[in-house]
Amino acid sequence: MGKIKIGIYELTGCAGDALLILDCESQLLDIFQAADIEAFLMAKSDNSHGPVDVALVEGSVTTEEEKEELLAIRDRAEIVIAIGNCACEGGIQAALTASENWSKEFRQVYQDLKLTNVKPIPSQPIDAFIKVDYYLPGCPIGQEQFLTTFTRLLAGHPPELYRFPVCMECKWRENDCLLNKNLACLGPLTKGGCGAVCPSHNLPCIGCWGPAEEANRSAEFKLLLEKGFDLESIKRRMAIYAGTTIVDFFNQLKKEKS
Amino acid sequence: MRILKLKRQNLFPFLQAISNGAELWGPIKKDNQTIFNFVPTEEIAKLNLNFTRTLLPPKKLFVPPSFIMFQVTNKGYQEDYSWIKERVLFGLHPCDLHGLLNLDRIFAQNFPDSYYVQARQKTLLLGLSCWPDDYCLCQSTHTDIIEEGFDLFFTDLEDYYLVWIGSSKGDDLIRLKPEFFEEGLNEKDIESYIKWRERRAQAFKTKINFVFMPDLMELKYNSPLWEKAGAACLACGSCSMVCPTCNCYNVRDEISLGNKPGRRVREWDSCTLLEYSLVAGGENFREKKSSRLKLWYTHKLQAFGSKFGKPSCVGCGRCLVTCPVGINVKSISDSLEGQKVDAFWVRFSEEVRP
Repeated sequence: MGKIKIGIYELTGCAGDALLILDCESQLLDIFQAADIEAFLMAKSDNSHGPVDVALVEGSVTTEEEKEELLAIRDRAEIVIAIGNCACEGGIQAALTASENWSKEFRQVYQDLKLTNVKPIPSQPIDAFIKVDYYLPGCPIGQEQFLTTFTRLLAGHPPELYRFPVCMECKWRENDCLLNKNLACLGPLTKGGCGAVCPSHNLPCIGCWGPAEEANRSAEFKLLLEKGFDLESIKRRMAIYAGTTIVDFFNQLKKEKS
Repeated sequence: MRILKLKRQNLFPFLQAISNGAELWGPIKKDNQTIFNFVPTEEIAKLNLNFTRTLLPPKKLFVPPSFIMFQVTNKGYQEDYSWIKERVLFGLHPCDLHGLLNLDRIFAQNFPDSYYVQARQKTLLLGLSCWPDDYCLCQSTHTDIIEEGFDLFFTDLEDYYLVWIGSSKGDDLIRLKPEFFEEGLNEKDIESYIKWRERRAQAFKTKINFVFMPDLMELKYNSPLWEKAGAACLACGSCSMVCPTCNCYNVRDEISLGNKPGRRVREWDSCTLLEYSLVAGGENFREKKSSRLKLWYTHKLQAFGSKFGKPSCVGCGRCLVTCPVGINVKSISDSLEGQKVDAFWVRFSEEVRP
């Protein structure tokens, strides 16, 4: 059996996830030894467009061209993994883009600028266009979860991803609950696996690993309102990393109000 | 059980003497915060004698939140007990000792868990009396007094401690520094202990109708209160993490690169999480938060009874101070009894129909 073929691709994002993979310094030689890295723009210049066993895709889709590129990746990859908040949720650039104001907002930023090489579209997570097999959340992804996923795939096993919210690891680290201290912590709404780094330093979670599987947004929303936070600041905070999914929640809130 | 007397100023020197060769763990205040944790310390003076409860219960010394069970190579596997050390754990309140007795029934009886059992055998348990705050429910759960499950137990009578010897290991500890202890209590000592017990018993402000709960859990199994609590539950798992009797865990295998050993990791889990009841094929037996909460409370208030004599709640009050939406043993018990409860989950359910 030949070595497993891996491709690492970047769409619209800060390239932080690719950088994090490159930053696995002590493991890097082992990674390159265990797999053939077919494409990894940040790490090498001779990138192939051939078939791969596993495609890791970072970034959201913000142009027609990226959409085509993504469809081509899906065609030649056995397994596609979305890596990072942009690929999984659409990223900060997707917050509220589904609000039908996208064209207006686009003009506000770019005015009448003529775009010659790309056709921009509202930012979307990659699963808006293709089937995604696994999601590695985070902004950026966690090194530990990346490595355990990578090694399990090498051995032919499906990855075991964290499915609990930030609060679990936060308690393991024996932190007092920041929500109970009247801070707007999004821990209960956010995917865990980060080691609860921020709350462990007394900083309330801002949700950078994206919405947890069972995020109870309406309960947390009402709880924060009750604690005295103003509606707009809660909405802003909840929207940052929730990607395209937050729009439905806000529409539901609007309906409840009327 | 022998009872001795120890002068207040001799407590720390005694702890110093007995922790020679063992790690001393005790309640210490977290920096700039109002919470306490059991941590190992070499500075005995840092131990806090007036804390009410630690954030995590002492179960973390016997089943750490996350630990490596064994390392695997192509030659086989090697269990990892390296985290288990000789320890002296000081500052266990009666509720926490009852909590450990609870865990013993699960981890040390029918199917002994070698990690738990070894950690238990190597750890001396030193209890300490306490005074209830507004969240302590141990009088209601009949766990405010402890008669077994410790090596030594210290009751604080201000000028001195009364020291109960609960095991032969505890007796050995006394023999290390017999000069610190006085045998034979006089009438006055006995009188002040009785008075202390009476005053403490009257100090409990918060109560639940614990003995009624097994019946009520059964009778109100289909009560709408479960849907209401489920609608507000953040499914964060914190209640289980802080509960001294929650013992569920998850096991993960980590494969390593470059011929380094792989490892099996064991981590705390909670039945209030969605993944808990998920089985192969994608079936989930408890998809709804309401049914998961019902399961949790069945353990705390009902079902443990038929198996082990009484429901598992030890009244430590940790869920009362932890749950951000106020779902806890007190608010659920009171609701089951039909009382009007002031908690976020109740207010939330009035506003939003589940």
